[in-house]
Amino acid sequence: MEDEEFRASVREWLATNLGGDFAGLVGKGGPGREHEFVEQRLAWERRLGEGRWIGLGWPVEDGGRGLPWSQQVIFYEEYARAGAPGRVGHIGEQLLGPALLTFGTQEQKARFLPGILSGTQMWCQGYSEPEAGSDLAAVRTRAELRDKEWHLNGQKVWTSLAHIADWCFVLARTDPEAERHRGLSYLLVPMHQPGVEIRPIVQITGTSEFNEVFFDDARADAEAIVGAPGDGWRVAMGTLGVERGVSTLGQQLGFQREFESVLAQARGNGSIGDPDIAGRIADAWIGLQVMRITAESTLGAPLGTAPGTEASISKLLWATWHQRLGELAVDVAGPSATLTGPDYGLSDAQRLFLHTRADTIYGGSNEIQRNIIAERGLGLPRG
Amino acid sequence: MYETDSPEQAALRETVRDFCRQYADSSAWKRLTGELGLTGLAIDERYGGMGAGFAEVAVAAEELGRVLLPVPYLSTALAGTVLNDGTPQADGLLPDLASGALTAAFVFTGDVTIAEGRLSGTAGNVLDGSEAGLFLVRADGSLYAVRAAEATVTPAGTLDQTRSQATVAFRDSPALATGADGDRAEELMRVLLGAESAAAAGHCLDVTVAHLKSRKQFGRPVGSFQALKHRCADLAVQVSSAQATARAAVAAAAYGQGDLRILAPLAKRYCVDVFWHAAAEMIQLHGGIGFTWEHEAHRYLKRATTSQLLLGSPAHLRRLVAHRAGLY
Repeated sequence: MEDEEFRASVREWLATNLGGDFAGLVGKGGPGREHEFVEQRLAWERRLGEGRWIGLGWPVEDGGRGLPWSQQVIFYEEYARAGAPGRVGHIGEQLLGPALLTFGTQEQKARFLPGILSGTQMWCQGYSEPEAGSDLAAVRTRAELRDKEWHLNGQKVWTSLAHIADWCFVLARTDPEAERHRGLSYLLVPMHQPGVEIRPIVQITGTSEFNEVFFDDARADAEAIVGAPGDGWRVAMGTLGVERGVSTLGQQLGFQREFESVLAQARGNGSIGDPDIAGRIADAWIGLQVMRITAESTLGAPLGTAPGTEASISKLLWATWHQRLGELAVDVAGPSATLTGPDYGLSDAQRLFLHTRADTIYGGSNEIQRNIIAERGLGLPRG
Repeated sequence: MYETDSPEQAALRETVRDFCRQYADSSAWKRLTGELGLTGLAIDERYGGMGAGFAEVAVAAEELGRVLLPVPYLSTALAGTVLNDGTPQADGLLPDLASGALTAAFVFTGDVTIAEGRLSGTAGNVLDGSEAGLFLVRADGSLYAVRAAEATVTPAGTLDQTRSQATVAFRDSPALATGADGDRAEELMRVLLGAESAAAAGHCLDVTVAHLKSRKQFGRPVGSFQALKHRCADLAVQVSSAQATARAAVAAAAYGQGDLRILAPLAKRYCVDVFWHAAAEMIQLHGGIGFTWEHEAHRYLKRATTSQLLLGSPAHLRRLVAHRAGLY
């Protein structure tokens, strides 16, 4: 199918399906707004699955559509343009799926990919722990194989969407004797079981999308391990950066939308007449173009390849830009940004400002990204 | 979507880079024009050019800019580019521009006016102006060609000693209407300055990283200190995004991909700012040696500062982009 024909088909599908019961989901969900319309968004995931809009770039033999990256980009563009809701299934689609495609067995792919592709099984990522943040290899959660089951004990933190997820891919220590990176394994753990307890974390915005997850003798099948025991670090790192590229372009359109709403407010309340605000608005727009151009320039890396430093460069660029936009948003809003609605109800500007404080921390803090670029990209010696 | 070098452009880049390793001085001009034919890249073969285009001129400009080769390449190659696309009246100039026998400079500023085929007025800060044999002057939006013999050229002392400037005065100077668009020429010059700046910024980063790997203090390479690593990482982010941005602007200019009226000032502003920052960091991260005349770092800061202040200051270009993008 030609690109433009494909674009028309995406548009038509979204126009048809993002109506009726789903009409109220336009612009809902996504980072900072994960608490909104959860049930309806889960239904939307299933609708996406029925339309075969999940796993667009995955190989056909694994249930994907094998589409070229240009068409994946088109899908993300149209998805963002239509204001379709923030995804719930993206962790499964963008993080676990590529891990299974790269490192999984045929049995694992047959068992887990269909649930992702149909939008019926939600995943969360069990990496960070209280004592393993930037130093992820310090993971302490233990997993022991007994009676053909993995027994997990420990605690994860900052687990996005754990309260919604059916499954969690967990980085756990299976060999306490091994050197720290080598003792880790990548396990697939069902969330709906007695040994798993989830506690929401109330964030800076007053809402919750991150959680603490406690494993108290939680179980996973002996077969539910991706790669061999001790391969967990390689599997986790091999897929950390794969969400770069095509999905970044969809993200850019979300950023564009946020920028436009800040611009509209600056025009509406006259603050654009302030030379400092006007200059920052121009800088934000220029930064948006530079990010888009830079993202386009790194497109086309094959799925599942170990990320180079492009992912770190892209993360630093967008996280820093987005945070500056949040700061600009409240400066544009002026004194009204100091007041909230009932029940700590936040305006878009306030939510953007507060939520973007996390952008430079999660998914590898800016400081960790700089270490990666300096050591792996520039070859500067480790300290 | 990503404009990487074509095989021919990659070969050209390698050729120019090799050349710069061998002849990094002002005597390079003859070889660069004669042997390599770089000023004729965008000129038709029937006029002695190479029949390539603006993208190839940008490749050469990047490689020459990377080492700050002190030659009037940008202006002369750009003259060939815009006159090649102009009216037949200017065709007579093309063979000499292609061979490098004639060097050019552009006049975009000053108070020069055109009346009855004659130019009058004065312009300062004319880049590559001291050695130019031909001036291409924007008046009423289009470009007029004037031989240097018909103008009064006063070479200036320049902060950046690798690129000349002059004050040029015209008094009823006979001018040829070239038919070329003066505003487009200015945007193309911005694109070239952006492209060479992105390349030069890459050089500043490379040299700085190499220094930090070899320089030892406190018994270890200073590049192992996180404070310095993070500054290099930030530079790497900027350089990589500047190079992508420069390529996008070149693609807009050469192939009509994207809006040149936005991308040209945007790339010039962003890439030159990145270059300036890279040069300033190069000095700081080299420590005392970076402050000396013998080290190359000062030349990069001076080139970056010059590029920043000419063809539209950062503040001016930011406003220009905002207006053209319809922000205000």
